[in-house]
Amino acid sequence: MLGFLKKVSDYTKEAFGAANYLFQGLVVTFDHMRRRPITVQYPYEKLIPSERYRGRIHYEFDKCIACEVCVRVCPINLPVVDWVMNKETKKKELRNYSIDFGVCIFCGNCVEYCPTNCLSMTEEYELAAFDRHSLNFDNVALGRLPTSVTTDPSVQPLRELSYLPQGVMDPHDLPQNAQRAGQLPSEVLELIQQKASTIDSNESIKSSNQIDNNKE
Amino acid sequence: MSMVTPLGTASQVLTTPGIDLELSFNQAMQGLGLSSEVAHLIWLPLPMLLVLVAAVIGVLVTVWLERKISAAAQQRIGPEYAGALGVLQPMADGLKLLVKEDVIPARADGLLFTLGPVLVLVPVILSWLIVPFGQNLLISNVGIGIFLWIALSSIQPIGLLMSGYASNNKYSLLGGLRAAAQSISYEIPLALSVLAIVMMSNSLSTVDIVEQQNGAGLLSWNVWRQPVGFLIFWICALAECERLPFDLPEAEEELVAGYQTEYAGMKFALFYLGSYINLVLSALLVSVLYLGGWGFPIPIEWLASWVGQSIDAPFIQVIAGSIGIVMTVIKAYVLVFIAILLRWTTPRVRIDQLLDLGWKFLLPISLVNLLVTASLKLAFPIAFGG
Amino acid sequence: MNISTSTELICFAILSMVVVLGSLGVILLANIVYSAFLLGGVFMAVAGLYLLLNASFVAAAQILVYVGAVNVLILFAIMLVNKKEDLKPIKSLQIRRVLSAGVCAGLLLLLARVDLTTPWALPGPIAIGEQATERIGEHLFTDYLLPFELASVLLLMAMIGAIVLARRDVLITDVGTGDSVDQSLIEKASTPLLIDKSTTN
Repeated sequence: MLGFLKKVSDYTKEAFGAANYLFQGLVVTFDHMRRRPITVQYPYEKLIPSERYRGRIHYEFDKCIACEVCVRVCPINLPVVDWVMNKETKKKELRNYSIDFGVCIFCGNCVEYCPTNCLSMTEEYELAAFDRHSLNFDNVALGRLPTSVTTDPSVQPLRELSYLPQGVMDPHDLPQNAQRAGQLPSEVLELIQQKASTIDSNESIKSSNQIDNNKE
Repeated sequence: MSMVTPLGTASQVLTTPGIDLELSFNQAMQGLGLSSEVAHLIWLPLPMLLVLVAAVIGVLVTVWLERKISAAAQQRIGPEYAGALGVLQPMADGLKLLVKEDVIPARADGLLFTLGPVLVLVPVILSWLIVPFGQNLLISNVGIGIFLWIALSSIQPIGLLMSGYASNNKYSLLGGLRAAAQSISYEIPLALSVLAIVMMSNSLSTVDIVEQQNGAGLLSWNVWRQPVGFLIFWICALAECERLPFDLPEAEEELVAGYQTEYAGMKFALFYLGSYINLVLSALLVSVLYLGGWGFPIPIEWLASWVGQSIDAPFIQVIAGSIGIVMTVIKAYVLVFIAILLRWTTPRVRIDQLLDLGWKFLLPISLVNLLVTASLKLAFPIAFGG
Repeated sequence: MNISTSTELICFAILSMVVVLGSLGVILLANIVYSAFLLGGVFMAVAGLYLLLNASFVAAAQILVYVGAVNVLILFAIMLVNKKEDLKPIKSLQIRRVLSAGVCAGLLLLLARVDLTTPWALPGPIAIGEQATERIGEHLFTDYLLPFELASVLLLMAMIGAIVLARRDVLITDVGTGDSVDQSLIEKASTPLLIDKSTTN
């Protein structure tokens, strides 16, 4: 009898517990009603890519020495470096350079290892094309600079979440000079320098004290 | 106590004072040289048409709400460009479905395939017959009222089985079988919780059920006397509508779209329309059965006496009638809102959990609820409708 | 003849036609699924006839019980065992058909005779309409109490029988080992799925 009663009470408890969890869930969803949508309405609004954004690769033909390091560090040997040896000058003569962005995984190894810094990452990510072969960029296409989101007059640039001030979730209607959460790299640098100088002065005081002690 | 009488039946009209649209319509028609019977024939489809239009508009509003609230729950914007705030989006959806090709799969059973969606939609629309928006604001005050709704909603599974079978697709068949199993299982606790209400109000008629709740406004609503019944009814209504915690028949991860898989164009739209009309209808019926229907939280008679007006004055009647409509709709849409929130809160249950909940939890609880109601009715006849 | 009586007559004609043709379809159609759906249509037409007789409660009960429960169950049974297999040819099918047709014709004749010889009181008693619900309830709990209770006992027996048939945990043994197999695994979440044989024996 007691066992049965315990079963009943356990069952009731479980039922109420389930109802409680359900209610908690409802409270969470209901709380979302007052939150503003975080939608970025794409063609009209665009997020500003971060500093280290790995977008389409930019290439400067004139800097390239055709060393093929980019090909060697590429996971799939993607860049095509078309050069011939000029017998007279005994130098490589670069004819063409191309990267197929339909195949590239944007790992950035080529940019990392390029000895002359002729490769760099841009913030361009709109690479849609009707034909996959048109994604095979030659040195001319690779040399074009993308339009920056911040300078495009038809686009409303929006900051990414980590570039918003502390506690702000919505990039819309942000004051122009609102600073992001945390310190800017320059401020961090300043702080470090300050610390270093105070340590220096402390050490100099200490050393002077020691000198004094020695005197005594 | 009478309010406006635009849609009342003839017998009610004669006994209640106040504004009588049918009688004046009849007289106007007779003035045009038609007999009383012909005038009645012309009158008959008008309230039906009005309610049909109301149901369809209710669906459009619900679809818009569903999309907007879903968007808000996920911090999206939702439809925005079709009309202000995207209010015309459901119309655009409907138009798109209207002009789409009507596909009947090659190996499907064409006749049953066409008949299925119709059989799903028609009973749902018929059930609007008994939804009261005011004292006499309903198509027909049928004596068996709420029982008619329960009977009509039991036709729906046949349509679902039919479309599931006719599609000649295993997902459709499974979806149809699941839908039928689900709606049969949840009809029983639903009917039992309705029975408790009927027992308290001594009538099956929806009008009587609401009247019995409107003695003292908010405090006399059935939800205080039947809290368990209210919850059971709401859960079962969600299951009958195949709303999200119970949307197994069209569980897209398992069954593609259940019985709707092979449907396109207007036939799919019929399913869509049917499910949303059913949702609005269920919300309306919850508000009728448990939340005092057209009743204002403070009885309208009290308000009228404070203002110093007779409740039978035509002006007060019009105001009371419009308040009634607004209150019914508001209550229903609050429930629709909760249903949409629940959709984004709860995960889908498994089929065995669904049947477990129906047969092993809701059914015993609703039986106990019925028993308790009966004993309370015997013990406290004043509070529980002696 | 005024509009309401003629509407009633038209409705009656349509409904009776649906009932007669539908029932013929139920027995004559080769596709069993069609028969089942037609049966639902016949049930609904009968409910319509009840409505014409001003018996709305009986009509609604008809729809709820016959269309909503019985017919759906029949459909379920058909769809769950929807095997497309040809029936074995039965010997002397023709003679059987003739015999059953004769029996049916005899029954029809008998019914027709009853119909013609009974002195029907026309017009019948006035329909009580919406008080019918209360009247049915009164009758069920007074003079028809015994049949009512017997019917419920019958249903209970059927239910218990179904449960016993469905719960095969007492009957089934493992084909390989001959051990009894716990069939209630799905019901008890706490039961381990792999039963240690040494402990069970």
